[in-house]
Amino acid sequence: MLPITYAIRNLFRDPSRLLQTVGGSALVVLLVIAAAALTRGMEGVLEATGSAQNVILVGAGSEESIERSEVHLDAESAAATAVSGLSSPLGITAASGEILYMAPLTIAGGHEEPALLRGVTEKALLVHTRVRVIEGAYPSPGQVMVGRLMYRRFGVEALDLAPGRTIAFGKTEFTISGIFEAPGTVLESEVWFDRNDLATLTQRDTLSAVYLRLDDAEFDDVHVFTLQRNDLELSAIREDKYYEKLSSFYAPIRAMTWVTAALVAAGAIFGGLNTLYAAFASRIREMATLQSIGYTRTALLLSLVQESLLATLTGTLLAFVLAMFFLDGLSIPLSLGTFTMELTPGIILTGLGTGLALGTFGTLPPALRCLKPALPVALRSS
Amino acid sequence: MFITIRNLTKSFKKGPNLITPLQNLSLEAPRGEFLALMGPSGSGKTTLLNLIAGIDSPTSGDLMIDDHDVARLSRAQLTKWRSRHVGYIFQLYHLVPILSAFENVELPLLLMPLSRSERRARADAALDLVGLSDRAQHRPPELSGGQEQRVAIARAIVHDPELLVADEPTGDLDGESARSILALLTSLSQDHGKTIVMVTHDPKAAAVANRVLHLEKGQLVNPPATPASAVS
Ligand SMILES: Nc1ncnc2c1ncn2[C@@H]1O[C@H](COP(=O)(O)OP(=O)(O)OP(=O)(O)O)[C@@H](O)[C@H]1O
Ligand SMILES: [Mg+2]
Repeated sequence: MLPITYAIRNLFRDPSRLLQTVGGSALVVLLVIAAAALTRGMEGVLEATGSAQNVILVGAGSEESIERSEVHLDAESAAATAVSGLSSPLGITAASGEILYMAPLTIAGGHEEPALLRGVTEKALLVHTRVRVIEGAYPSPGQVMVGRLMYRRFGVEALDLAPGRTIAFGKTEFTISGIFEAPGTVLESEVWFDRNDLATLTQRDTLSAVYLRLDDAEFDDVHVFTLQRNDLELSAIREDKYYEKLSSFYAPIRAMTWVTAALVAAGAIFGGLNTLYAAFASRIREMATLQSIGYTRTALLLSLVQESLLATLTGTLLAFVLAMFFLDGLSIPLSLGTFTMELTPGIILTGLGTGLALGTFGTLPPALRCLKPALPVALRSS
Repeated sequence: MFITIRNLTKSFKKGPNLITPLQNLSLEAPRGEFLALMGPSGSGKTTLLNLIAGIDSPTSGDLMIDDHDVARLSRAQLTKWRSRHVGYIFQLYHLVPILSAFENVELPLLLMPLSRSERRARADAALDLVGLSDRAQHRPPELSGGQEQRVAIARAIVHDPELLVADEPTGDLDGESARSILALLTSLSQDHGKTIVMVTHDPKAAAVANRVLHLEKGQLVNPPATPASAVS
């Protein structure tokens, strides 16, 4: 075996190549980390939002989008009484009829952004169990409650959407009554209205959906209810399945993220490979000399891989530092909700794996090519 | 005999043609002999040297060195054999530029089961023998050609091989440096019992050897038919 000092000195043989290898691998690893965190965050937030214990009643034919669904006002009380075994904390049955509406809101200063509006009664808290009011109060008529990450969507300070501030729907102003959290879910970028207010604003006399929280009841019990009351024209879907479907709807976006990352990474890898080919080619005679002394090709290959790994793992480390500063905890507002990029152990492993793969698989082709010529020929090369 | 070569042939395929730089060559040399190999360019000198050094394998024929059947060794076996029994000295020194003189000389020792202090002692002794103890920490770019070649000789002898091969070791040196390298090789043969095969174009260099062989078109010729030799 060649000593590691040989690999280290070789790294510094050409500082510009070292810089390129470290920078290039840092870029590639950073891209992989970012793409992984982005897609993982997207999937995670949708997975976390749906609960297996919740069933959503939507208008038959609108199973794909609650916002487009229309449900008769009576469905809420009908389901509450007909389906037995619904959760009922403090004696109130967890059946919440809600209106969902996508519309632009305006904040002080005239800034306008589309947001998901939810018209609710107090029963909403019985089904959306992760929602907790962390500041102020639940909205009364004329008021709204905003999700903890709503301010991100407007790109303003959290203070600008604090209780007491106003937010406008068209020309109608609403006072912010409170802030709520619902950790890790898309609800955190919603705005909750009093249900009657939203019905008036949107000029509708129907609900979008009725949310039911199961206790002893099974999904089938709810399904049977929709069949018994076919006059209401309802369709029952499990909330987790609904968000799973929504998630698959965003699969092309995730694929695009990976494709973009892969394209940029491919450029960096291609450039790196080229430099490595040139760098190793200039060492063919030296490799042959070491073989003439008695070093095996395997030993030399290992030394070359060692050398590359030192550079790519330094790049990986650099990528982690950059990711920690610029990616970790960064929340990204998307139409379906805001999610936060996190450096989870899985993502860190993915980044590390990328760095290792770059150092080994990226080195093998140029290294093998450098070690390939027959010894007498290689010794003659200049 | 230390070196026994019988009907050694080496040929290469180059496209449709078969090139045969060595044809049915036979040769014997006792232990400790200093052989010079001369001949015009392309006559097969380096090819023969590489075969003797186990760098390459013959197409046919026998090659025994100190009872090792070198012609029949596999690539891996040859690598191991070289690391113990051969020191190769190149015309252009072939030192590793990023390593100091000491580290260059230490390279063959890293393949042996030696402690750090044993390696140190042996590398120091080899550098001392070539008169470069004071340059141990210098890197090749900081040395003169003659000094580089002396480091290369130290590297070739540090693991105490019985056989030294040198391909035009003075070919790139001025007269003064060349003389000191030749003196060094003579001493290695006379005082340390090394068997040396040296390729050279220079009759003055060949003169220090015990015996001069002439190669022409892949075969030994005696007496030489080259005009320069004919004059002498
Ligand atoms: N690997 C090879 N493939 C094909 N031909 C080769 C190979 N190695 C050597 N030859 C050919 O064999 C012949 C002898 O080459 P060799 O290098 O042994 O000559 P040489 O006597 O050392 O010449 P020089 O004095 O120029 O170094 C040449 O014609 C050369 O082209
Ligand atoms: Mg030659």
